Amino acid sequence: MTRRALLSVGAAAVASAAFGRPAPERRLLQMNAYAPDAETPLDLLTTYLTPNDVFFVRHHWNANAPDPRTWRLVVDGEVERPLSLSLAELKRLPRATATCVLQCAGNGRALFEPPIPGVQWRYGAVGNARWTGVRVRDLLAKAGLKAGAKHLHTAGADDPPGKTPPFHRSLELEKALEDGIVAYEMNGEPLPPLHGAPARLVVPGWAGDHWMKWLSRLSPQADPQKGFYMDVGYRYPNNPGEPGTAFKAEEMHPVTDLFVKSTISDAPRRARAGSPVTVRGFAFSGAPDVARVELTDDGGATWRPATLGREHDPYAWRLWSFRWTAKSSGRATLHARATDSRGSVQPREAVWNQSGYLWNGWHSVDVEVTA
Amino acid sequence: MSRGRGAVLLAFGLAFAAPAAELPRLGTVLVPFPPGVGKEVADQACLNCHSSDVARQQKLTEKQWTATVTKMIGWGAEVRADRKEELIRYLAANFGPGNDSFRPVVVQPIRSSR
Repeated sequence: MTRRALLSVGAAAVASAAFGRPAPERRLLQMNAYAPDAETPLDLLTTYLTPNDVFFVRHHWNANAPDPRTWRLVVDGEVERPLSLSLAELKRLPRATATCVLQCAGNGRALFEPPIPGVQWRYGAVGNARWTGVRVRDLLAKAGLKAGAKHLHTAGADDPPGKTPPFHRSLELEKALEDGIVAYEMNGEPLPPLHGAPARLVVPGWAGDHWMKWLSRLSPQADPQKGFYMDVGYRYPNNPGEPGTAFKAEEMHPVTDLFVKSTISDAPRRARAGSPVTVRGFAFSGAPDVARVELTDDGGATWRPATLGREHDPYAWRLWSFRWTAKSSGRATLHARATDSRGSVQPREAVWNQSGYLWNGWHSVDVEVTA
Repeated sequence: MSRGRGAVLLAFGLAFAAPAAELPRLGTVLVPFPPGVGKEVADQACLNCHSSDVARQQKLTEKQWTATVTKMIGWGAEVRADRKEELIRYLAANFGPGNDSFRPVVVQPIRSSR
C-alpha cells in the first residue's frame, strides 16, 4: 500500500472515531466493464439526493453520447407542427423539476431463486435525484398534439451493435403527459453523458426502462411501439405462477409502476444488549408517497414504525431511521418493510418472474449482539 | 490495456478496499474468462459487445445457457456452428447454478466530463 493510501486510511479511521461508523468510501461496483453497468454500494445511499458521481449506471450497449452542440430533439408523429429543437432551444422552454427515484427494472435480480439471466443487480441499481428540464406536456402542446394518440414512442441516439434490436420504446401517453419530463439537468448539474446527456426522459414512479437516455425522438402514435424491447423484454406476468414458470409474451404486460420497497442502507454489525443503535434506510413506491416503514426483530411477528425523514416529494424516496435496542445477546435479524399511500405492503418474498424484475422482498440485516 | 494489470488491481481493490485515488475507473479493469476448453470460443463470441463480467456473474443451467447463447448468436455473436456446444458446455461448467465466484470490481466514482 502506498504512503498516500495509508494516510487516507488514517483519515478514515479518524472519521470513524468521530461519527461512530467508518465514513463510506465513494465508489461504485462494476457489474459490466463495457457496456458500462455499475451499482451503488448501499452505504452511499443514505442521503436524500444520490450524488451524480455515485449514481448507478446502466447501458444496453456502448453508447456514444451525442455532441450537445449538434444534438436535436425531434417531436413528430401525431402532432400538427413537428419540432426539431437544439439544446439551447429546449432550455428556453419553461423549466420543470421533479425529485424522484430512478430504479432499474432489474434491481434485485440476483436475489431471485432460481437464478435468472441478466445483470445480477443486488440492491444498488437505484437512486433519487432532482431532474430538471421541460414537461412532456409542454413540448407536445407546442407541437400541437392531435387527438387519437395513445402512446408516446421514444428513441435514443445510441445504436446497437451487430444484429441487436434497437432500444425503441413507448409508454402510455397519459402517463407521459401527467408526469413526464425531458431532463437536461441532474441534481443541478448538466446531465452527465453516462446518464443520457444532453437529455433523457424522466418518468416518475415508473421503472428505468421508460427513462430513455440520449433522447432523440418523441413521437405520439395511436399504437404501442413494436420490437424486442416491447414485445419480449421488460414484460411482467399478468398472473405470476410458481418460481421457474415461463409465460408467453401475450400473458405478460410492460413493466410500469415500481413496487413498494424499503431497503436498509446503514446498520451496525454489532450492538450491545440494552444499548440503542440507529438503523437507516430508504423507501419508495410507484405510488406518489410512502405511508410508513416498519421494522421487526422477530421475523415479522411484531413490527414497530421507523421515523420518516422530512424531505419528501412525489415519487421520491423517503429516508427513514429506527432506534433499535436489542433485548438479549446472540445474532439478531432486522427486517424492514414499507407501505405506500395506496395501501400496498412490501411482501416477505418478492414475486419470482422470468426476467427478474422489481424484486421487493423484505430486506434484512444481521447484527451480532453482545451482553 | 493489460489484463495482468487488471487482475492485480482487482485483487488490490477487493483485499484492501483501497481509497478512491487507488481505485480503477469504470471499464478499465477487464477480468479474463477462466482458462479451459471453450475459453477461446467465449472470447471470440462474447467480448466484442460486452466484458466477461456479465457472463461471469451468471448462475445458469445448461438449458438457460443454451437459450442465452442462441439469443446472442441471433444478435450477432460470432460462434461457428460446430463450436456452439463447446461454448455452452464451457459457460455451464464455469457459470452454472453453483457459481459463487463473481465479485464486482470496485471502481472510482464517475467524474462528469464530456
